[in-house]
Amino acid sequence: MNIMYLAMANIRKSKSAAASLFIFIVVAALLLNIGLMVITQINAFFDRKVEQLNDPHVTIMMNQASYHSNFREFTANQPGVTETEEEKSINIDMAKFIFGDGELSSSVIIFNADAKRRMGPLKLVEKRKPSSTNEIFVPYSFKTSGGYELGDNFTITYQDKKYEYRIGGFFETTMMGTNNIGVMKFMLPEPSYLKLVDELDHQSEGMVLSVMTEDQTQSSKLKNDLIKEFQQSTEETNSYIEGLDVELVKSVNTLTINIVATILVAFAAIIVLVSLIVIKFRVSNSIEDGMANIGVLKAIGYTSRQILASIILQFILIAFSASVAGIALSYILMPFFGGIISSLSGLIWHQTVDIMINLVSIFLVTFSVVVVTLLSAIRVRRILPVAALRGGIQTHSFRKNYFPLEKAKGSLHFLLAIKSMLAHAKQNVMILLIMIALTFASIFSVVLYYNIASDKTAFVNLFGAEPANIYIAVKPDADTKGLLSNIEQMDHVRKVNIFDLIETRIDGQTVYTNVTDHYDQLENNIVYEGRQPKFENEISISWVVSSQINKGIGDTVEVEFGNEAGSYLVTGISQSIGNSGQVAALTMGGMQQLRSDYKGSTLYVYLDGISNNDFIKNVHEQYGDIIIETLDIDENIESQTGMYTAAVFAVMLMVLAITVLVVVMILYLVIKTMIIKRKKEFGVMKAIGYSTIQLMNQISISFLPVIITGVVIGGLLGYFFTNPMLSILLSSAGVKRLDFIIHVPIILMICAGIFILANIVSMIVSRRIKKISAYGLIAE
Amino acid sequence: MKKTIIKTEKLCKTFSTSGIQQHVLKNLDIHLVEEDFTIIMGSSGSGKSTLLYAISGMDKPTLGDIDFAGKNLSTLNNDQLAVFRRNHCGFVFQQIYLLDNMSVLDNVLASGLLVNKNKRELVKKSKELLKQVGIDESSWFKFPAQLSGGEAQRVGIVRALINSPKILFADEPTGALNSASSERVLDVFTNVNRNGQSVVMVTHDIQTALRGNRILYLRDGVICGDLQLGAYSEKENDERQEKLKHFLAEMGW
Repeated sequence: MNIMYLAMANIRKSKSAAASLFIFIVVAALLLNIGLMVITQINAFFDRKVEQLNDPHVTIMMNQASYHSNFREFTANQPGVTETEEEKSINIDMAKFIFGDGELSSSVIIFNADAKRRMGPLKLVEKRKPSSTNEIFVPYSFKTSGGYELGDNFTITYQDKKYEYRIGGFFETTMMGTNNIGVMKFMLPEPSYLKLVDELDHQSEGMVLSVMTEDQTQSSKLKNDLIKEFQQSTEETNSYIEGLDVELVKSVNTLTINIVATILVAFAAIIVLVSLIVIKFRVSNSIEDGMANIGVLKAIGYTSRQILASIILQFILIAFSASVAGIALSYILMPFFGGIISSLSGLIWHQTVDIMINLVSIFLVTFSVVVVTLLSAIRVRRILPVAALRGGIQTHSFRKNYFPLEKAKGSLHFLLAIKSMLAHAKQNVMILLIMIALTFASIFSVVLYYNIASDKTAFVNLFGAEPANIYIAVKPDADTKGLLSNIEQMDHVRKVNIFDLIETRIDGQTVYTNVTDHYDQLENNIVYEGRQPKFENEISISWVVSSQINKGIGDTVEVEFGNEAGSYLVTGISQSIGNSGQVAALTMGGMQQLRSDYKGSTLYVYLDGISNNDFIKNVHEQYGDIIIETLDIDENIESQTGMYTAAVFAVMLMVLAITVLVVVMILYLVIKTMIIKRKKEFGVMKAIGYSTIQLMNQISISFLPVIITGVVIGGLLGYFFTNPMLSILLSSAGVKRLDFIIHVPIILMICAGIFILANIVSMIVSRRIKKISAYGLIAE
Repeated sequence: MKKTIIKTEKLCKTFSTSGIQQHVLKNLDIHLVEEDFTIIMGSSGSGKSTLLYAISGMDKPTLGDIDFAGKNLSTLNNDQLAVFRRNHCGFVFQQIYLLDNMSVLDNVLASGLLVNKNKRELVKKSKELLKQVGIDESSWFKFPAQLSGGEAQRVGIVRALINSPKILFADEPTGALNSASSERVLDVFTNVNRNGQSVVMVTHDIQTALRGNRILYLRDGVICGDLQLGAYSEKENDERQEKLKHFLAEMGW
């Protein structure tokens, strides 16, 4: 007899079980392949885009007044610099425009679309025809995340003036293409550009220096060096010099994509685990059921190795064909994930076939199947032919009569169900593990979604943002403290703080430093070790900065601002995803050490019982003459997090859908197998007078404790380990401690949902018992 | 005058296999009375087991009526039949069919607790019955796989008797046992019948059939012989055997 024939016969014998396993492995291979392809291709994809679009590796933006004619020459002489380009631009510090679900405030750099440039030339991916006079070209993310289409109206609000345009085209750019970088790039046709230059003040006249390097991994250092040099060389007192480098932009743009891809791989691992548990269960069952057959095969001279091969082969056939199918399917679904990548990066994802990753996915799945099958079936070698022919009596183990009916308390059906549960301990351990894994995965994804899409407080806190309601930028000559006191007196104002963000250098690193005197009043304490500064000689730094400069709590660091420098004692270590984790915090007194006339220029207002818009209106009416601008922080956050919401929602839906599928299929498989295996037993019970509904109840009750235990353990793991797991996932982005809100009622709802689903499925599947007649048993 | 427990009218059972109809029972009119030990005999395929399971509510007839203790079984659905069986019938099978994940005592109680909720009383009765059939205390907590065939079948009889059925149905109960074990099992049947328990048993073994007081002979789905043999007595065994052999010879056995 051929081993392949034996394997195929085994598959045919248990078609539905083979089909369920096939589906699990298809799903696992699909997720694994997508996840691995994205993780391995995303960096290369970004680098390729930089090359294709000829985008600069470093971009330095400044106001024209700060620019010095020798900056370009200085830059060109830096080691590793291959090309430089300078270009005039319009730099708007705080432009407001609608993006996604809200109004976004962002720095904007506007270029002349008709100017000749080598680096970052305008390459439209969509263009409106025919073109109109007041059109504007915007990054592709405006289409994928911003909700714009060609021809839509687009209004930029700056210093309370509105500038109206129509979207004339979308372009790809790696440098300033998404709203998570803090600065966005627009392009205007020359007439519109020149008109806008005339309309705006001189402060908006900007200059952009683009730099290409031999090695883009050195771009961060080059950017820091250039900014330091330019800040020191400029004679302008109100200088504005900012920079972006390709490594920073890549890490910011690919962060969420990597997290989504990691979740896909992690979930694929869970599905593979579920499949392996099912395989273990099926192999054990098939050995017990086919014990006599094994005996016959051994008796007629088949070696244990041949019998093992026939068992393993059937699972290899299923695993291999399902992996190939899953990988083929992943290419069909990849455009959907490509859409998520495009919305997160603002770049068009072109899917390529990655044979190596495909082979790795197939190998990982098939190899783990082979190992588990081998380990589960290895006991075949120890079974003697004579024992197998006797039906493997020695494999039965009746160690204990659990819950003897004579003594145990409880209803008959409950006791019989519990007996059945304990008699099938191995199978129930399998269900338990699967329920734990799936409940945990569901809670993980729902917590992720809740914190990113519903209550965003913890998610926003990760960025280091202070969750006030209104941001007010005060004119330089105004009395900031006086305005603070006045606003404090206004109705519906809960509290007001001076809370600035300024760019400093700490031990040579560019660091975004918060300044306030009231860290104890902030609602997002980003310090996770030590404390925020209290005195003028103290500072807290992020762990990213801490590891860059190799200093921690108790050490002294040198902080530079403009041409001044001072030493500060580190009192705390903080975390933040925003500004690449390069953040620090000083007191007002501390800042005054570097600039004696420093008095703060930004107020953070916390409201209670009034809409943000109404408050902004009121504050402008009363203090409009000393305010540069106001910002609705809530709306800004809404607008900035919209694209994360879409990505995480897709992941959550996928995880929940797969959870439902797996719960349904596992219970279907287990109960069906159990009914077939216990057909004789159920027939006897029907013969002695048990009704179908009584037996159905017994089956359901026998699964109940396992399902409840699995759901409870999964729920507890979800409650206690979702934050630590997310912290690990986000650690590369600068997160050390994560406090996502985990609502117990939501966990309870998920657990109850899974529990109800599992019970409905077990009741429906156990209806098969109806088909077993007592007479059918006898006739057999 | 003994009371009729089961009365069938024009009982028919037809099986359909691959479109071919096979009429296994044909218009049977049977009366079974209380306290009788009725033996159903016949050659293989004559419909013995089919008749046993039809009149016991284990299977539904194709046509005809079965009046069992005043109820027409033909009108009951599957769950009503289950309730009927637990209250009125006891079954002993050739393959024994004890529940192998339960101890001896639990096997009996799993059946008894369906009807009698008084656990203490039921446990006492189970133990008494087990003792009566020769299963001593040392075996009560064993699993079926740890019993001999004869012991297991005697447990099967106790399980069938625990709810004091109107009729004890047995389908070749000694078919899988050696002769010594068979004798002990048959003695149990004889004893319970002497205590007033009605028994209907299918067999093709003459020694087994001798235990009955009435022999029904089935051929091609029709009762073609009905022998009144009288109550079993070991002393009259030879005479009964002669009478039965003669009857069977007449039936073409």
